[in-house]
Amino acid sequence: MPLSLYYFLSITAVNILLSWAMYLPYRVAHLHFITVANMAISGYSAAWLVMALHVPFGWALLAGFALGGGIGYLVSLFIGDAPTFAVVIVGFTFIFITRTVIENLNAVGGTMGMFGLPDIGGNPDAHRWIIMAILAGLLLLVGFLLHRFDHSRLGRAASAVFVDKDLAASLGVDMRRLGMLLQTVSCTIAGGTGVLYGFIYRSLHVDFFTFELVGIAMTIIFVGGYATQWGTVVLAPILYGVPLLLPPAVQEWRIVFYGAALVLVLVLKPEGFITRRFVVSIESFLSVSRKKRNTLSREDV
Amino acid sequence: VQELIAQVINGLSLGSIYVLLVTGFNLLLLVAMIIHFSYPQVVVFSMYVTWLVLQLTGNNLALGIAAGVASSVIINLLSAPLFQKVMSNRREVDINSTMVLSMGIGMIITDVLSHSFNEGLPVAFPDSLSSIAPIVRVGLISVQVGQVWSLAVGIVAVSAIFLILYKTRPGRAFRAIAEDPDGARLVGIPILRTGLYSYGLSGVLGGVIAVLLAMLLGSASPGLGEQVAHKVLAVSIIAGLGNLAGGLVVGLLLGILEAIAQGYISGSWSNAIAFVVMLVVVLAKPKGLFGSKL
Repeated sequence: MPLSLYYFLSITAVNILLSWAMYLPYRVAHLHFITVANMAISGYSAAWLVMALHVPFGWALLAGFALGGGIGYLVSLFIGDAPTFAVVIVGFTFIFITRTVIENLNAVGGTMGMFGLPDIGGNPDAHRWIIMAILAGLLLLVGFLLHRFDHSRLGRAASAVFVDKDLAASLGVDMRRLGMLLQTVSCTIAGGTGVLYGFIYRSLHVDFFTFELVGIAMTIIFVGGYATQWGTVVLAPILYGVPLLLPPAVQEWRIVFYGAALVLVLVLKPEGFITRRFVVSIESFLSVSRKKRNTLSREDV
Repeated sequence: VQELIAQVINGLSLGSIYVLLVTGFNLLLLVAMIIHFSYPQVVVFSMYVTWLVLQLTGNNLALGIAAGVASSVIINLLSAPLFQKVMSNRREVDINSTMVLSMGIGMIITDVLSHSFNEGLPVAFPDSLSSIAPIVRVGLISVQVGQVWSLAVGIVAVSAIFLILYKTRPGRAFRAIAEDPDGARLVGIPILRTGLYSYGLSGVLGGVIAVLLAMLLGSASPGLGEQVAHKVLAVSIIAGLGNLAGGLVVGLLLGILEAIAQGYISGSWSNAIAFVVMLVVVLAKPKGLFGSKL
């Protein structure tokens, strides 16, 4: 697999997973930026397990998921039903503290970072294919779970909380437990994504987990459309891919473009490009054509 | 003991900057009803404008300071229609959307500063503005010009804001909108125009803070705004969103805590200590210590 294609596909997948991890708690209006800190914590922990303790990659990946979920659960005990701005500041503070701890920990390379993470399959090509396969599997799994969630009673409860908390409470929605569940799942996804992020580059540096990463994920969610999971899927490859086609001098300004896109979309098209109505119309179109196909095939019989 | 006193003096001057930042932030929150998360980024942008004008005019302080204040006011006023459009899209006050919009503006400002000024490197202010020479020295205790200015201007500016809020007609309009926007509209207060005044006033305050920060720190970097933004939002949440008096207390306490941590703990750990304390308080009391005014 060509290196450029590998990086494009794998980083796009990471961006989608991270954005989905943020999208999930945003269903109850929580901007859960702790996901980026969890990516760093799990990524570094897994890399340390593999390099220092020679733990197999599979176990380190599972540990990354578990660590992310564990931290997410513990934090959600306090902010499961907190106001959005409190959730935001907890996330930012966590990122800052995590970065400081990593920068001062010699065991994980401090400010130099960790380099030379081992190839999973024994050689670089196998490593890339294995990483791609895991990312594809994870995308399918998380995408399927999100789709089911959006069409479940829990998803409807989350929508009620997003629109009107008083209404949701009067309908009997337990906002704290719902918030805790979504935050924990979100952090679990972020933990695993962080491990894979490190193994894509086979190195980790504290600057991989900056507020810029938060900005990229937010742009993907809000420009793509925060009301469905599909906006993320459409926008992640575009946002990452288009700047790669531009001259390097223009590429440098990509964060300005992301910020401008975010501002313009919030002002002009607040629901983003892929709206819930659009997704519902596609789903109903697909369901009608499926019904027609079934009727035709029955008539043929 | 001398070291502790020295750090408390440092903390008071730093805390007075936090107080000013939180006051500007809360003013926008109460009157314009937005969470202007990137307000500190606007302040850092003004610091860069001040630096640029000082470079171009051969360190003309008056022009540099005027340009810093003007840039802050202009950015605030230019961003006002964006915030108002977002709120009219939702047909209601939507604090979350305005916060995301503000983060977008912050992304643009930080990245522009990273590319357009001094090749992305931190900028250093001339000695005429950021003199670090002590004016008083007693043992380990030394008081610098910037510290005196930030404390004095902090007291004057906060007093002026409170004076405007409680003794003037526009101030009464500000408080009426903060208490009850619909009621304020009913009694004929022009919500839009009064909101614009708050953007202008917080812009002026932002420019003053930029000059004080330049005097106190002596330098600025593109990432400074992000770091300060988190602290300002945290101070505001810990105090209780929109609580001006609470912001005053918590801002000063954070400044002192940070300065003491810097005095006794090495490197970046000192900053982390302040963040850990903020995290613990936010986790324990997500709705603030002094009660939210929203």
